[in-house]
Amino acid sequence: MFRGKYVVVAIFVILAVFLVVSFPMNEWFSETMSRHQLLQLPVMIVLGAASALTLNCKTVNVVSWGIAILIFIAASVVFWMLPRSIDLAVIHPLFNRVMHFNMMLVGFLLAPVLRGMVFEIRILFIGMMSVMLLATGFALKTFDVLLCSSFTIQQQHETGFYLILVGFSLFVITVVIFFKGLNPGNIAA
Amino acid sequence: MKRIGIPLLSLAFCLFVLWKWTGGFTSFTVFSYTLNAAGSLPRVCPDMALIDQDSSVFNLDGKRKYLLINFVYLNCPYVCHKVNNQLEQIYHLMDSSLVPSKLEFITVSFDTDNDNVSKIKKYRSYFGSAISGWTFALPHQTSAPSFTHWLRKLGVWKYQVPSSGIINHSIYLFLVSLDKQIVHVFDPARENNQKIVQQIEACFGESTL
Repeated sequence: MFRGKYVVVAIFVILAVFLVVSFPMNEWFSETMSRHQLLQLPVMIVLGAASALTLNCKTVNVVSWGIAILIFIAASVVFWMLPRSIDLAVIHPLFNRVMHFNMMLVGFLLAPVLRGMVFEIRILFIGMMSVMLLATGFALKTFDVLLCSSFTIQQQHETGFYLILVGFSLFVITVVIFFKGLNPGNIAA
Repeated sequence: MKRIGIPLLSLAFCLFVLWKWTGGFTSFTVFSYTLNAAGSLPRVCPDMALIDQDSSVFNLDGKRKYLLINFVYLNCPYVCHKVNNQLEQIYHLMDSSLVPSKLEFITVSFDTDNDNVSKIKKYRSYFGSAISGWTFALPHQTSAPSFTHWLRKLGVWKYQVPSSGIINHSIYLFLVSLDKQIVHVFDPARENNQKIVQQIEACFGESTL
């Protein structure tokens, strides 16, 4: 009974945050590139992951399905980091909402997959994502050519800088998880 | 087989979507996508009526010369002026037997709300008096949607940021031949002036052959 109430309240909160971020605050998030890429996009992923955890979704233990879903997740993130996708998402609110749903789906799938996957796949995926964020960050930070017509070159450089920070943080997390996983106790387990 | 088939299917689907979205992994920005979507080179340069700095109305089709067309707007905070300074250098690097007799530079402003003939005339004067064969122009008696449509057919992306009013746009230079075909598109941000001049002069070499 208590669990049921908790789930309803949690889903209500998730839905409320989604609506606020996606509708009334959409313009604010679309004003600068860093808000759009580093706040709005991750918020949706977190909301998706929170939904999966709240609904107590089954973990994905089958390796082939896990890899297939991780490929979809990586491709979704790549898609929404393409300058053309960013531009069209800012210009057309409807297209931006497609991004919101896709990112929520990414978060929704990410939680059960990462929980169920073997250590090697997990570490490979997180490492790959951190390298991708670092590479994108360096590209945005160093390119003196405007890549997104909806933003300014200063915002592009700023976003690049923050992406490098995020990518580096994720890389550190990867290394920590990796060495924790290499712990003889864990291996024996 | 099933174990490897599912990830491969997922990979194929994702790659297909990305491939379609980027025009075969060639266009990652709206600028390059708009240019590629306009068609491969050489292709017909759509006609447009323009008005120059001396209030003379002309059509692109009416010009009996090669044309090098670029786009700017005068309130641009940075890039347009940088590109025009580069174009000025290209102009002076060109063989004097080509400009202005065989090649004309046309700089078109697309800020029809703020730019006018007197403003573009004044702006042109900043580049000195020895620039005969370099015309500064505005679209003439054209509605905003049809001008935008013309830009798209040409391969130019233009977007006005609502909050700042800044117009972000493609900075390509379009070389149009005598038979009004776009034969070359130069990206001044990536190609150096000398290389652009060499390629333009090579076109004249090909046309005389």
